[in-house]
Amino acid sequence: MLGERSITSLGARAVAVSRELGGITILFAQVLRALVPPRLDGRELVRNLYKMGNRSVPIVALTAFFAGGLMVVQSAPFVKRLDATSLAGWAAGYAVLREIGPILIALMFSGRVGANNTAELGTMTVTEQLDGLRALAIDPIRYLIVPRVLAMLIMLVCLTVIGDLVALIGAAVVAKAVLGIEWGIMYASFTENLKPHDFLHGVYKSMAFGTAIAVTSCYFGVTVRGGAVGVGRAVNAAVVAAAVSIMLLDFFLTYVNA
Amino acid sequence: MSAPVSRRPDPVSRLGAGGLGGVRAGVELWLVLIGTIAGIVRMFRRGAARPKGAIVEQMWVIGNRSLLFVAVTLGFIGMVMIYQACLQFSRAIGDLSQVGTQFIRLIVSDFGPTLTAMMLATRVGAGIAAEIGSMKVTEQVDALRMSGVLPIDYLLVPRFLASVVMTVALAIVGAAIMYAAGGLTAYLSFGVNPRIFYDLQMVEGKHLILGLLKAVSYGAAIPVVSGFCGLRARGSSEGVGWATTAAVVGSSFAVIALDFALSVGALWLLGGDL
Repeated sequence: MLGERSITSLGARAVAVSRELGGITILFAQVLRALVPPRLDGRELVRNLYKMGNRSVPIVALTAFFAGGLMVVQSAPFVKRLDATSLAGWAAGYAVLREIGPILIALMFSGRVGANNTAELGTMTVTEQLDGLRALAIDPIRYLIVPRVLAMLIMLVCLTVIGDLVALIGAAVVAKAVLGIEWGIMYASFTENLKPHDFLHGVYKSMAFGTAIAVTSCYFGVTVRGGAVGVGRAVNAAVVAAAVSIMLLDFFLTYVNA
Repeated sequence: MSAPVSRRPDPVSRLGAGGLGGVRAGVELWLVLIGTIAGIVRMFRRGAARPKGAIVEQMWVIGNRSLLFVAVTLGFIGMVMIYQACLQFSRAIGDLSQVGTQFIRLIVSDFGPTLTAMMLATRVGAGIAAEIGSMKVTEQVDALRMSGVLPIDYLLVPRFLASVVMTVALAIVGAAIMYAAGGLTAYLSFGVNPRIFYDLQMVEGKHLILGLLKAVSYGAAIPVVSGFCGLRARGSSEGVGWATTAAVVGSSFAVIALDFALSVGALWLLGGDL
């Protein structure tokens, strides 16, 4: 019967989602536990900071530039109708700093760094390198997971700060090129209408996004089953989970921190 | 005396190598796009080889199985956007009656299709690249070619057609959910009358055409970019992981770049009337 089957599959899906949520929570708790006396591999941390942060700057900057420009283009009809050029910087800057900047940068970061991290940890899992570490009495959580989580958290915040700046530059460039708004007007519009609070709001969000991306991507990496196909499937699941958690966290943080 | 051989190449040759690699990748991407279009033409002319019911199956995988994901993410982002917009409008202007009409204009012409496509780029893009990449590294793609079937016709054409149809469909669903969630937030948090919020007077045909044009081009770009990344996969599980990562980044970036190009183009064509 169709009804019975769909209820069964709904239940199976709910159980699977709960199991993954539980697994992610446990991994997060283990990471926090490992941080209490902060003993971690410093060289591994620096290597991850470089690989995850510095190498992501070009794609993040490019994304942010377009995002800033897009916000100006979207507000252009409104600005033109009201003939209020001083509002362009306000609308674009507010949207970029509070919402679009952190979200788009986090989505790109999840695609580039989170997915890559899942693939790397997944490959190590299917080739049984994690068991090898355990056999050598090295705790994989402390050696592999904690440096990655810290590196992603730190680097997403840094990239969001850089990205915000690039997005505002992009907004000014597009405003000049498309709407003919002078640099000085745009600059004044930014400085008068944007408060430090708007910028910090985005930075708080990026901290939460960074933690969520890091923990989900590590979780899906270490629980891979079944060779190359499994790694592909895990990466897919990791980016989807990261995207959903970014949107949910964004919602709750906006309410808490408005 | 011979010059010391350095293991790291100097910056100029690294830049050159990067540039050459970029050009080569661009040419390959172009060939995949052309191959897909040619595959569609071939399919309509004489029914090219593809598994039976492949398009319907891909539509199910790309469309129906993404529905919950798109609904949840777009619903939440719609609520957040309206919350932030109302907060700002009530501080600066004090009049919230314009929020709904401006919001639906933005949803139809931009946010609906673009955010749906960003979400699909992560889910569908990663899925396509993982699937085709796994087939590539296990030499199933070569086996296809050996049996006289073009891998692009067999693998990419069904996904391309399914993705174009389903991106448009999901963009419409996503936009509706975003609009509904936004109106609910405006009513519950700021007491905006739903009758004033749900007012479609600002939406005109050109917004709808721009939105549909965007949805179609994202729907075409995502499978082409991810299929290209999947077909480039080398090695074993590590290669598949790399291909999947590249597909997510590449198709997300393609969505943003296409959005920018189409928005600027529309603004340029229509001027301030958009």
